Amino acid sequence: MTAIAWQRRRAAAGATWREFASQRGGLVGLVGLAVITLLALLAPWVTDASGLDVTRVTARPWEPPSSTYWLGTDHNGRSVLLLTWWGTRISLVVGLAATVLSVLIGTVVGIAAAHFGGWVSAVLMRFTDFFLVLPSLVLAIALSTVLPRGLGTIVLAIGVTAWPATARLVRAQTLAVEARPFIERARALGGGHGHVIGRHVLPAVLPLVFVNTTLTVASAIVAESTLSFLGLGDPTRVSWGSLLHAANMHGAVSQRAWWFLVPPGLGVVCVVLAFTLCGRALETVLNPRLKGER
Amino acid sequence: MSGLLELRDLSVHYRSARGEVTAVRSVSLGLESGQTLGLAGESGCGKSTVAMSVLRLLPRTARVEGQVLLDGEDVQGMTWGRLRAVRWAAASVVFQGAMHALNPVHRVGEQIAEPMRLHGVSGSVSALLDQVELPARAARAYPHELSGGQKQRVMIAMALACEPRLVIADEPTTALDVVVQAQVLAVLKRLVTERGIGLVMISHDLSVLASTCDRLAVMRHGQVVEEGPARQVIASPTHPHTQALAAAFPTVGDPASRHVTPSEVAPDGPVLLRAEGVRVDFGATRAVAGVDLEVRQGEIVALVGQSGSGKTTLARTLLGLQKPTAGRVLFEGRELPRSASGLRAYRRQVQLVLQDPTSALNPRHSVYEAVAEGLRIHRVQGDEAARVAEALSQAELRPPELFFPSLPHELSGGQRQRVVIAGALALGPRLLVADEPVASLDASVRGEILALLLRLRRELDLAALVITHDLGLAWTIADRVAVMYRGELVEQGTVEQVLLSPRHDYTRTLLAAVPHDQRSTRPNWTSSP
Repeated sequence: MTAIAWQRRRAAAGATWREFASQRGGLVGLVGLAVITLLALLAPWVTDASGLDVTRVTARPWEPPSSTYWLGTDHNGRSVLLLTWWGTRISLVVGLAATVLSVLIGTVVGIAAAHFGGWVSAVLMRFTDFFLVLPSLVLAIALSTVLPRGLGTIVLAIGVTAWPATARLVRAQTLAVEARPFIERARALGGGHGHVIGRHVLPAVLPLVFVNTTLTVASAIVAESTLSFLGLGDPTRVSWGSLLHAANMHGAVSQRAWWFLVPPGLGVVCVVLAFTLCGRALETVLNPRLKGER
Repeated sequence: MSGLLELRDLSVHYRSARGEVTAVRSVSLGLESGQTLGLAGESGCGKSTVAMSVLRLLPRTARVEGQVLLDGEDVQGMTWGRLRAVRWAAASVVFQGAMHALNPVHRVGEQIAEPMRLHGVSGSVSALLDQVELPARAARAYPHELSGGQKQRVMIAMALACEPRLVIADEPTTALDVVVQAQVLAVLKRLVTERGIGLVMISHDLSVLASTCDRLAVMRHGQVVEEGPARQVIASPTHPHTQALAAAFPTVGDPASRHVTPSEVAPDGPVLLRAEGVRVDFGATRAVAGVDLEVRQGEIVALVGQSGSGKTTLARTLLGLQKPTAGRVLFEGRELPRSASGLRAYRRQVQLVLQDPTSALNPRHSVYEAVAEGLRIHRVQGDEAARVAEALSQAELRPPELFFPSLPHELSGGQRQRVVIAGALALGPRLLVADEPVASLDASVRGEILALLLRLRRELDLAALVITHDLGLAWTIADRVAVMYRGELVEQGTVEQVLLSPRHDYTRTLLAAVPHDQRSTRPNWTSSP
């Protein structure tokens, strides 16, 4: 009997894809994402990682773009193209991991608050409010200063500060779903908390969570760049934020080395734009009211 | 000389993604001043489209053919300025659902005055309110401060603001209780006779139209299938669709509309469910104030009352979905368990059928999943598919396999309610609690669902507690009736006792408020002591 359900799910997925594909913006974002992800994954094979090692550089520092170094070199004489390319990996990993963490916390808190109500809701929502009113950047800075430097710390700092918005959103959606009579019917059939949440609430909330995830990735990548730019990232790894940090520290502006500042900046813009385009397109697919007159 | 309103060969088509859909097909109708024309039909039959075409209020996707003559002038040919002058000043509308048609942030007085200001007409809001029997101070109120009936009367006052000669009332009483409905209908009727306006009244409820209209047109699939004097159409309907509509609104006291044969009335079977002094408080509000009620095996009990009388809260308490503040509920002599697992076991015995099947089914679950849900919760052993098929065919969805993959939105309203019933039956319960089981269904489907409940009682010896505001429904299928008023049961007894010779004043008020047509002689309860 599950065959019927799967067949239907496949059909539904097909319909969602067709709807998504009909939006040019979303498609552009998706292609952009695919290209960027592919580049990030292929970096170790296509490029030579030894070029990142300061001790093995051959070029002079602050070399402008040329046919050998397409985007010039940094203050150590490393290729900016190579640095930016490798920076994609860290930016994407941190962005995705932090998003998964924050969306997970947000969804669990949101559903629990809405489903159980009463004092559980009161406690959880005050907790959420606490995180919501704290400036998240300040909190993230504080966290990454206190905790040992590293990739995990950055992920934790962003994940722990970015979830309250998701929690509020999921709570609102859960409340709306739980007010529907089919929840009452499920209870009357004898369904407990697990059944109501697992079979009815979660499937109804997940599309929203998914859209929210793609939009959160964008802000998580910006947050990662910000923290790294402030020098709070993992010093052993190259990310877009740490590149900008290095450019700032070593006076790229006074050297008029625009080629060191622009590529990582554009990298952030491209990835954030791609995720946002995808997220908006998905949102329109799942909520046709946003479509407007066409 | 043409009448006040004349529709000549009117057709309306809607352009949609699937091509053009015809909502109204060659409708010709006429109305004189001082007359009331009833437009009856089920949802989707095009009756509202006809009404909106009179003032050209249709959406842009609509294409209109034929003529709509208002005082001999074709509405289709009017210029925009002329149309604006005609809207409300010559013809006005009482919109469906007064709760949504009023702006919540303005006082109702301002809203009544709005059309007068727009048309530069002088008039007095308090005089208008007086006409609809509201006190002048109601003008200072915001919509949420008024009851449903009061809001509906504000809508009527608004429609009368520019002294139009034609008023179109689109389901003016649908969301209202019987008692309030009777008051609103009386106001409308009085206005027609006093002011000589023409009234077009749209409703799915033939009994409402029968009590107010001179002429009646019955629509189906965009066409008028029967038209004539209201009395005649209702007393001797010729079209089968009219007959089905008429049968769906039974007259209390008419043996023909009582579907329970005396032999079927359960003898004194064992008591299945018993409520003893059940009281439910929500904060300071007392929803249920001490109720004693019994349902025996194989018995259909109707719980009747207005909205807000606490009948749904009582039902939820009986199901164990709501904890009583005081008193107790006994099933087969044992008190309802309080533990989660105990309640789960209890739910196999007592099942719920909700009012609106559209929202009672998860839109993402197929029929199979919806029916199998209870089986999976209770981890019922055995062939799941066979049990689902059996439950579906008990609910008269045949062949059941055909319905397995359907999603709720692919089914009609009646089929959805059958799926809900099948989902309850799959667990093999002994008692069904049905909360307004047919209130949101079309008239022609109502009879079928009620017949299904009766058949299930006959074949499965299933008891049912039917919660309803509709006395006609109680008369059709119930063995016993309990009347609830402000959280208390004011009267209970067999259907004949309660509905034909009511003892309590409230029961009499309810019965008097039911619209009466001329089909049957009124039972003689007004003069009973």
